[in-house]
Amino acid sequence: MGVIFNLAVGVVLVLLLLTVILWSAKIRRKPVQKKPQVPVFQEELAEEVAFPVSQSDSAPKVSKQPIPEIPWHYGIDRLVLMVRDPNWIYAYWEITATKQEEFNEQFGPEAWSSSRPVLRVYDVTGVEYFNGNNANDYLDISINDYTDSWHIEVARPNSSFCVDVGRVMPDGRFITILRSNIVKTPSLSISNLLDEEWMWIEGIYRSITNLRMGSSPMITEETSQGLGIIPLGISSPGMPDKKH
Amino acid sequence: MANGFLCFVLHAHLPFVRHPEYEYFLEERWLFEAITETYVPLIEKFDELVDEGIPFRLTFSVSPTLVSMLTDGLLQQRYLKYIDNLIELAHKETTRTSGTEFHPIALMYRDRLLKIKHIYTDKYQFNLINALAKLKHLNRLEVITCAATHGFLPLMIHPEAIRAQIGVAVDIYNKHFGETPVGFWLPECAYSEGVDSILKEFGIKYFLTDTHGVLFASHRPKFGIYAPIYCPTGVAVFGRDMESSKQVWSSNEGYPGDFDYREYYRDIGHDLEYGYIQPHIHPDGIRVNTGLKYFRITGKDNHKEPYNRENALRKADIHAGNFLFNREHQIKHLCSLMDREPIIVAPYDAELFGHWWFEGPEWLKSVLRKAYYDFDLIETITPGDYLKKYPCNQVARPCPSTWGNKGYNEVWLCRENDWIYRHLHIAAGRMIELASNHHHSGGLTERALKQAARELLLAQSSDWAFIMNTGTMVEYAILRTKQHIHNFLALYDQIKSNYIDAGMLAELENKNNIFPDIDINYYNKAV
Repeated sequence: MGVIFNLAVGVVLVLLLLTVILWSAKIRRKPVQKKPQVPVFQEELAEEVAFPVSQSDSAPKVSKQPIPEIPWHYGIDRLVLMVRDPNWIYAYWEITATKQEEFNEQFGPEAWSSSRPVLRVYDVTGVEYFNGNNANDYLDISINDYTDSWHIEVARPNSSFCVDVGRVMPDGRFITILRSNIVKTPSLSISNLLDEEWMWIEGIYRSITNLRMGSSPMITEETSQGLGIIPLGISSPGMPDKKH
Repeated sequence: MANGFLCFVLHAHLPFVRHPEYEYFLEERWLFEAITETYVPLIEKFDELVDEGIPFRLTFSVSPTLVSMLTDGLLQQRYLKYIDNLIELAHKETTRTSGTEFHPIALMYRDRLLKIKHIYTDKYQFNLINALAKLKHLNRLEVITCAATHGFLPLMIHPEAIRAQIGVAVDIYNKHFGETPVGFWLPECAYSEGVDSILKEFGIKYFLTDTHGVLFASHRPKFGIYAPIYCPTGVAVFGRDMESSKQVWSSNEGYPGDFDYREYYRDIGHDLEYGYIQPHIHPDGIRVNTGLKYFRITGKDNHKEPYNRENALRKADIHAGNFLFNREHQIKHLCSLMDREPIIVAPYDAELFGHWWFEGPEWLKSVLRKAYYDFDLIETITPGDYLKKYPCNQVARPCPSTWGNKGYNEVWLCRENDWIYRHLHIAAGRMIELASNHHHSGGLTERALKQAARELLLAQSSDWAFIMNTGTMVEYAILRTKQHIHNFLALYDQIKSNYIDAGMLAELENKNNIFPDIDINYYNKAV
């Protein structure tokens, strides 16, 4: 068992290493939209995933239709923040060339290249009107110029967040390039707010043991069992583990 | 006089898969299998209960994509071909298995398939919505609906996009059932703040969430999940009961894993010699499930014994009794604590019954039957009925949540699928722009606007993100997402430049023909 575990860890490490190498190689090459089928960016995302996704080698490819190319950039400056769960939020953004030029016009011709990109995550819980300076606190995440999305671990249920994509100048100043919408993470527990007119019944809560949120991941295994199976549910609470 | 209420909610949904450009398309089988194994068997059981005079109540959510496919002429004809082919195979099987222990099972399949075809073609004239409408009329089913293409509402950043998903769904429901749905199944039970106010605009009275959607509400709910709460907008929310869910779904304690039940993974489409099975699988020779399966689960290893229908049905009956026994126990306990009858909400994917759990429809029928005859303390109810009985409920904001793995948005927002949102949001923004700038268009422009809305809606199906997350058939999900986005962007450019490619438009209208009467005004920018 231990041996297998070590081996598995080894394999994962090798995969990770490979991913890193491929990843950096890709960055050096710079994405060029020449692939006939899937835009290059899509491929990079796939490589980021550390575990091999079974690309249905047993399942013959039936959808022979060519996958149409869609743009990756829309020429619109935007930074969109979304909620994943009580602990994670996700941001994606696009900074146009115009925006970069404006930045250089304002801060000097070398400003863009001599500054480094940073994601600033503000906790704005309870802040009525966020103006950039009145957040409860913030966290900076260093990113690179090729990144245009990020999964952010905030680990704060019931909290509000706003994100800036900005640049840190050589003198340490932070300049906001784009600001996101504000999102609120959901709760991860029973509320402490009690309702006098509807006083909670403790006995009911005591009978609710073993709260399992959402479905079991087993449905995932179940649906990966072959072709023509209805992609059930499409996400239903767990299925009996009948995988042999 | 019942002491407590049992509220079954079945959610029937499949993504819109219709490929007139191909003679045969693999993913269309999802619909055909679900009709054969789930929808018709469930309807059959409901009809039997009606014939027996049993006054059960059950809530049935049917998604607008499924309604559209079930009422689509091309898919109906293709289903007929499918079932005829399957019946032919079943006939061949009765000969092949003659004299073996599998023979009775082969006979069962043949008779069963003939009956299913009869119900589909003769009884309901190729249109299963007729059956649902009838059962609704007979006061057995509370038929509700779900977002237009099962779009994942919490990850939409434009309220207009959410309004269109809900508005189009309500229109489709109205068209087929002649009124506004009383309740709404949020796709993936995914709720976020603001969704309820749009539901309210359409006169929707309630929706459902997973357990923690109610349990983690802004104020601690008095009755936990055993009574609804009201959103501040006045829309009611019912939370899923985990105890009853677990018994049906759970890997360890769930019924469907019983050794007497039919084994899902041994299908003759995969097991039998290629030359024999070839006319009944994919024309390209790809082996698929036929639905003809001869073994029971038997045990945890690979050894499988032949399926014994009688034993399996007996077990389904026992499990039905067990389920109700547990509910009765639960209700007694809750009654000792509550000053009103508790409601136990048990929502399931409809496709669990029959497709995954072969004996599921029989189990369900047995539960509904026994609840009437043998369990005086339990009465089946729908959320709509419960609200009529108890219109006064606690007000609290539900917790944003889903019934997906881990209970929040991760399944639909993870590294495998996060890239789709930058496209979906652009498309939604552009659709709003188009609708707001073209109030009184006619002719080609109007058609293009409608088609653009269809393409956007189809791209938004939560199914694609889900499939990308699961790691199987990912290619098809990516294809569908990109195709619809691509089509949308092309139409957007054409409408903007006032140069619409009539040929391309007609092709798209023919192919993605969902929601023919779509009202694009839902995308008008809210003032």
